[in-house]
Amino acid sequence: MAQKKQSGNNYVFTAGMALVITLGMTAWVIIIILFKGLNFFWPGDLVLVDMENGDTYLGEVWDEKVSGNLEEDELQLKIGNRDLYGLDFIWLNERDIARKNYLENAVTLEREEYGNFYGFISSIHMGDTVYQNNLADFFDRAQEAHDVALSKAEQIREIQNELVELTQPSAEIQREIALVGISLEANTPVASKKVELLQKKLSEKEEAIAPQLASFNSTLEKLVVEDRNMFLEVADASGKIKKIALSSIVRFYQPNEMGVIRKSVHYIEKIWEFVADNPRESNTEGGVFPAIFGTVLMVLLMSIAVVPIGVMAAIYLNEYAPQGMVVRFIRLSVNNLAGVPSIVFGVFGLGFFVYVVGGSIDQLFFGDTLPEPTFGTGGILWASLTLALLTLPVVVVATEEGLLAVPRANKEGALALGATKWQMIRNVVLPNAMPGILTGLILAISRGAGEVAPLMITGVVKLAPSLALDWSFPFLHLDRKFMHLGFHIYDVGFQSPNVEAAKPMVYSTALLLIVIVVMLNLFAIYVRNNLRKKFKTATF
Amino acid sequence: MSENKKNETVVIETNALDFYYNPQTQALKNVNIIIPEKMVTAFIGPSGCGKSTLLRCFNRMNDLIQGSFIKGNIRIHGKDIYKRDVQLEDLRKSVGMVFQKSNPFPMSIWENVAFGPQVNGITNKAELNNIVESALVQGDLWREVKDRLHNSALDLSGGQQQRLCIARTLANKPDIILMDEPASALDPISTGKIEETIEELKKEYTIVIVTHNMQQAARISDYTAFMMLGELIERDETKKVFTNPTEKLTEDYITGRFG
Repeated sequence: MAQKKQSGNNYVFTAGMALVITLGMTAWVIIIILFKGLNFFWPGDLVLVDMENGDTYLGEVWDEKVSGNLEEDELQLKIGNRDLYGLDFIWLNERDIARKNYLENAVTLEREEYGNFYGFISSIHMGDTVYQNNLADFFDRAQEAHDVALSKAEQIREIQNELVELTQPSAEIQREIALVGISLEANTPVASKKVELLQKKLSEKEEAIAPQLASFNSTLEKLVVEDRNMFLEVADASGKIKKIALSSIVRFYQPNEMGVIRKSVHYIEKIWEFVADNPRESNTEGGVFPAIFGTVLMVLLMSIAVVPIGVMAAIYLNEYAPQGMVVRFIRLSVNNLAGVPSIVFGVFGLGFFVYVVGGSIDQLFFGDTLPEPTFGTGGILWASLTLALLTLPVVVVATEEGLLAVPRANKEGALALGATKWQMIRNVVLPNAMPGILTGLILAISRGAGEVAPLMITGVVKLAPSLALDWSFPFLHLDRKFMHLGFHIYDVGFQSPNVEAAKPMVYSTALLLIVIVVMLNLFAIYVRNNLRKKFKTATF
Repeated sequence: MSENKKNETVVIETNALDFYYNPQTQALKNVNIIIPEKMVTAFIGPSGCGKSTLLRCFNRMNDLIQGSFIKGNIRIHGKDIYKRDVQLEDLRKSVGMVFQKSNPFPMSIWENVAFGPQVNGITNKAELNNIVESALVQGDLWREVKDRLHNSALDLSGGQQQRLCIARTLANKPDIILMDEPASALDPISTGKIEETIEELKKEYTIVIVTHNMQQAARISDYTAFMMLGELIERDETKKVFTNPTEKLTEDYITGRFG
């Protein structure tokens, strides 16, 4: 016993256990997220459940409560058809279930609205042509009809866009007229003269585009009628018939007759949709591309802002400032800044960047659109700068460590050769401290990419109408609101009307966020390791 | 302290030099020394005697230590180098320094040697190439590295790195080269090479070398200065210091009775 005490084996064991617990919990979280997040995209089989009391339900098995006693077992089905039943999910007692059938012609229809529909297609309507479900190639015909309907819908969208473009100039004139109406000189002769002039211009414009407008409108009308006449008649489990417009269906498939390979193809398609498409149904369906884009762009902007400032501050603190009480106090303050709750930074960002800086920019450069704010409201620039402030201490501390690690001998060597202090810093210190600086960047990215609270008040939104980067001048729109994966998790998981259906989306989004942070980090680590190889210290 | 008997040109001359790391710590006390041109002067003495500090006063490297200051003055070619109008960069260009531990920059061999001329304003590539070559030849390294000038300097051996540092100093075309125990971290063969190089260099440069190795001082130097506790005890021709020292302390140190 005495010997055991001396060797400290107990403490080794305790320390080891602490490590096991830490790693175990991390692994557990990652495994749950991986499993649930990746499972979401697999097309689930549809089960038709006949109850003892004559009810029937069709849906995907979502969850099971297995107690060992068959009498108490329960089954959760996702029955979809929210427009018919009002709720997506139902719990069934196993003892009340008479039969379970997996019918091959059961169909999952993913729709633009109301979530999935589970049922059976009974007929296809294409204008006057009707196909009944007794045909051999019925399901293929349904797919073809769907393709036709989607291309029609695309045409409608294109024409609508052209219409908007066509009427844009006259809409602008109308806006000018309205502006004169509310300006200081309203109701004066000058104003009425102006209005008259504008009215004339407007009528000229409208006359010029009239024939084109009429032709567009008639085509549009025709297409809309055609679109309305293309629909499926579908029956739910109990045989109730419902019409679903083909153009409102994203895709449909018969999961029970799909093999593993076709399911895998479907799985990959779904993942692609998730990564590359826009969200649907208040974010609970579809993709998260805008959120990925917003997250990555915000992290990049943050890095661009934080690295130069942090590095310069660290250089001043370490190389120029005379070491003493003041510098020690500043260093302590910077370190403490890292411990300030992130929401405080958010409030600061809102108060300083959005209201003061953004407000001033609006007054100086965007006075004509006031009181509608341009920069005086949350946007990706302000959110990035707020995060840059939040991660500044991390960069300063890591850079200082990197600067301290530069061998004194190298610095003296440079100075002894007649280099000025700045030349020494530029040529010897900075390249040597690069790995430390990149470590700071890595830590900043990790911290910044996962931060949500400060973003919520500085520019993140549930659904951004457009990306911050597009083809219209000036290409990078720093004033725009943006979407963010972290906020997306919060929004989908806790703010959506249909939390249960959105749950898998939360896991998938969390997984994606982790993957993105890891990828950004791996990139920085790769760069750092290359630099390390170059600057490995001299050895005797 | 001996007078300059042979009428050699004096390059460095100190006058009642005191050096303080801070007001409480005095490292040099009333040092008066002259360094003659194109000779090797060696500083010997026990650890902490101030020989490195004195050396680092000559190119004002001690300025880097916050709170340090000197009293008295140091003249190089008759000009007080602690005067305010002295350009530190120019001083350090003409008074080169080789450190105890070789300190090549993490760059290529070429970039290491060209660093000094570049920071001092030479940008012409051909000119730089010439400077690099002649510096490496003088530093006795050209034969070994001429085919891999653009490889990392950190891949060289310890002795080669130290000769690279000497060549790097020479590239600035200095008057004076200060060497702070340049061979103390090297094996005997590398040390021998460095000593040969010094032998060659003293034809053109004034060299001041700090060494712990008394045989080395005896082998390569023309003058030897013995220091203790921040004071200059004796400075004379090397032969005289080692065979017939004036001071008792010098004799005790050289014969190994302490230190």
